[in-house]
Amino acid sequence: MSTIVEVTGLRKRFGDIVAVEDVSFTIAEGEIFGLLGPNGAGKTTTISMVSCLLSADAGTITVNGHSTGRDPIGVKRSLGVVPQEIALYPTLTAAENLAFWGRMYGLSGADLKRAVDEALELAGLADRAKERVETYSGGMKRRINIAAGVLHTPKVLLMDEPTVGIDPQSRNHILDTVKRLNASGMTVLYTSHYMEEVEYLCDRIAIMDHGKIIAEGTLNQLRDVVGGMDVVTVKVDGLADETLDAARAIGGVEQLDRTDDTLQVLTRSSGSILGVLISTLESAGAHVVSVSVQEPDLESVFLHLTGKSLRD
Amino acid sequence: MRELFTIARKDAKVILRDKAAVLVMLAMPLGLIFILGSALGGIEESDAIDAKVAIVDLDAGETGALFVEALTGSEDIGNLFRIELGDDADAVRTDVERGDLTAALIIPRDLTERIAAGEPVALEVLQDPGSRVSAGVWAGVARAAVSAASSQIVFGRVLGEAVDVPGVAPAPPGDSAVPPQGAGGYVGPTLPMLTLDIVTVEPVEATIGTRISMIAYYSAGMTGMFLLFGSMFGAFAFLKERREQTLARVLTTPVSKTAVVGGKALGVFMIGAGQFLVLLLGTTMLFRVDWGADVAATVTLGLAEVFAAAGLAMTLAAVGKSERAVGGIGPALIMFFAATGGSMIPSAMLPEWLKPLQVVSPVWWSVNGFLDVMQGATLADVIGPAAAVAGIGAVLLVFGIWRLEYR
Ligand SMILES: Nc1ncnc2c1ncn2[C@@H]1O[C@H](COP(=O)(O)OP(=O)(O)O)[C@@H](O)[C@H]1O
Ligand SMILES: [Mg+2]
Repeated sequence: MSTIVEVTGLRKRFGDIVAVEDVSFTIAEGEIFGLLGPNGAGKTTTISMVSCLLSADAGTITVNGHSTGRDPIGVKRSLGVVPQEIALYPTLTAAENLAFWGRMYGLSGADLKRAVDEALELAGLADRAKERVETYSGGMKRRINIAAGVLHTPKVLLMDEPTVGIDPQSRNHILDTVKRLNASGMTVLYTSHYMEEVEYLCDRIAIMDHGKIIAEGTLNQLRDVVGGMDVVTVKVDGLADETLDAARAIGGVEQLDRTDDTLQVLTRSSGSILGVLISTLESAGAHVVSVSVQEPDLESVFLHLTGKSLRD
Repeated sequence: MRELFTIARKDAKVILRDKAAVLVMLAMPLGLIFILGSALGGIEESDAIDAKVAIVDLDAGETGALFVEALTGSEDIGNLFRIELGDDADAVRTDVERGDLTAALIIPRDLTERIAAGEPVALEVLQDPGSRVSAGVWAGVARAAVSAASSQIVFGRVLGEAVDVPGVAPAPPGDSAVPPQGAGGYVGPTLPMLTLDIVTVEPVEATIGTRISMIAYYSAGMTGMFLLFGSMFGAFAFLKERREQTLARVLTTPVSKTAVVGGKALGVFMIGAGQFLVLLLGTTMLFRVDWGADVAATVTLGLAEVFAAAGLAMTLAAVGKSERAVGGIGPALIMFFAATGGSMIPSAMLPEWLKPLQVVSPVWWSVNGFLDVMQGATLADVIGPAAAVAGIGAVLLVFGIWRLEYR
C-alpha cells in the first residue's frame, strides 16, 4: 500500500505554549489512522496544519502528493474535513448546508444533488433534510457535520473528535459510518481521547501527549509496549502516602499510580500480587472498596508511558 | 469565482432568515418614514389659494412704489394673497425655493431709470412650482397690475406729466388676459418707442424644480440611512461565522480567500440591493412618493450606497472584534452618518461645525442625490455624488479586507 499522508518533524508554538513538537507519522492509502491523546495533547493543532488552516513553524506535510506549503489548494482538494466544532449554518436546513459545502468543493447540478442525497442517507437524516439544523439534537448535528465533510468523496478524511458530547446511539452510528466510508476506499485520520473508539476503528494508532507522539503502531504493537501486563485498579478509603511506598515495594508491581482514591497497578502477575496488595493496604489502615483486573489496553499503555490516566 | 457567488448567496440567505435583520432593514425605515412624514408634513399636500407672497421693491425711483401700490391696494388681490413687503431679494428667493413663500415679485433697481430711458425692463416673478395653481394666479395678477400701472406711466410720459399719478386701479385677476396693446393704442404712431412692452414680467422658476413633501423627504432620508444597516448584519454574519467555526471550515475548502471575502461583501450588497428595491417600491406604493423621473439616477445612487454598506460591513467586522462590539459601533456610526447626512433634519439646518464632516458621510451624498432627482435632476447630475459614495465604500472595503482577522 502506498503512503497518502506523510508528516515529518511538525512543530507549532502559540507564544510560549508548544502545541506540537516534532510530530511525524505516515498514513497508508486505505487505512484508518488514529491520533489518541487527552485534551490539550495537540491533536486539533496537528489536524489544522494538515488541512492548511494553520501554517507549521517547522516540518513538512504531504497529502496525496501535494505539499501544504507549495500547493495548499491541491491538498485541500484531496481532503474532507470534519472539525471538532459543529461547523454548520444553524438557520439553513440540512440539505442547504450540505449543498453549500458540496459547492465549495466544486460540485454542481445533478452531481451535487446526488451527493447531497447520499450524504443525507449516510447520516440517516433523509426524512428531516428540509428542517433547519438549529432544530436538530446534538447527535443529529454531529451526523450532518460529518456528512458535510464527506459528500464530495475525498481521498483522505480528517475527523477531529467527531463523537464528543453525544448519546451512545448516535456514537455507534458515527463509528459505523467511519467504517463504511473506509470500506468504500476513504483513508481516515481520526482523533479522539476515547481509547475504545480508537481501538475499535483504527488500523494504526499514534498516542499523543504534550504535543509529542509518545508511541505509535498497531493495537497489538502498542499492547506489547506494556509487555502483556495487566492493570489492577483498586479503590480505597483512607489511604496514607506511606502506604503507597509499601505497596510499590511489593514484588511483581511494575508501576503504581494514584489518582485521588484510585490506585492503578501495572503487573505481569496479577494473580499472585492481589492478596499481598490488599493485605498491605488493609493493615496500613486503608479500606479497600473494590478491585478489578483488566487485560492490557491503550489506557494501560498510556498509563505506562505517562504515569497518568487518559481522562485526567 | 463560482464559489464567490455561492458564498454570497448563502450569506444573503442567512441574513434574510434573521428576523431582527429584516425588521431593522425594512420594517423600521418604512415605519419611520410614515411616522415622520405624516407627523411633520401630511401625505397629501394641500394647495390652498390663500397663499403667502412677497414683493421686493428695489427701484431707486418711484415707479416701483406705483407697482406695489397697484398690487397692495386692491381688495380682490388681498382676498387671494397675503402680501408681504420685503427688502432682501435673496432671502425672498430662498423662501420661495424652500416653499415658505408661494411666489414673489422682484422689482429691479433700475426700473424708473430704464422706463425713463425707454429701455425694456424685466420684472422677476418667482414662483414655487410645487404650488403651481396659486403661483400661476400670482403671475397673472402681477402682470395685470403692472400693465395697468405701466399704462399710467406711459400716459404720463406722453402727456409730459410727472409720474405721480396716484391710486392706480389695478385690473382684477380675471382681467389679467387684457392685452397691454389695448393701452398701446393710445400711443399709436406718435411715440412708437413707448409701447407697454418696455415692461415685461418674466416668471422665474425657483431653482428647486419641485416642492418635496415631508414624506418624500423622509423617504430619501431614511432610505439613505437604513441602506447602511446591511453593513451591520454583514459584519455580524462574518463574526458569527468566525465564532462558530464555519469560517475555519470554509478556509479548509479549496477556495481562495478572495472568494471568501468577496462573497461576504457581495452577500451584503445583494441584501442591500433587495432592501433598496423594497423601500423604493414600498414608499412609492404605500405613501405615493415620487422619486423623480430619472429612475436610473435613483438606482445608481442607491446601488452606490449599497456598495458603501458592503465596504462598511468589512470595516465593522475588522474593527469590532465581537458581535457585541459591532452592535455598539455600527449603529453609532450609521447614526452619525445619517445625522450629518440630513436623514433626520435637512442638512442645511445643521450646525456649521458639522458641515465639513458631511463629505465623509455616504448618507449625505446619497440623500441629497435622491432629493435632487425628486426635483428633476438626472443621472448626469448625480453621477458625481454617486461616485463619491462608491469611493467612500471602496475605502471602507479595502481597509476592512486589509484588517480582517479570520481566526
Ligand atoms: N490558537 C491558540 N492559541 C493559543 N494556544 C492554543 C491555540 N490552539 C491551541 N492552543 C494550545 O495548544 C495546545 C494543544 O491544543 P489542541 O491542539 O487543541 O489539543 P487537542 O486537540 O489535542 O485537545 C493546548 O495547550 C492549547 O491550549
Ligand atoms: Mg482538539
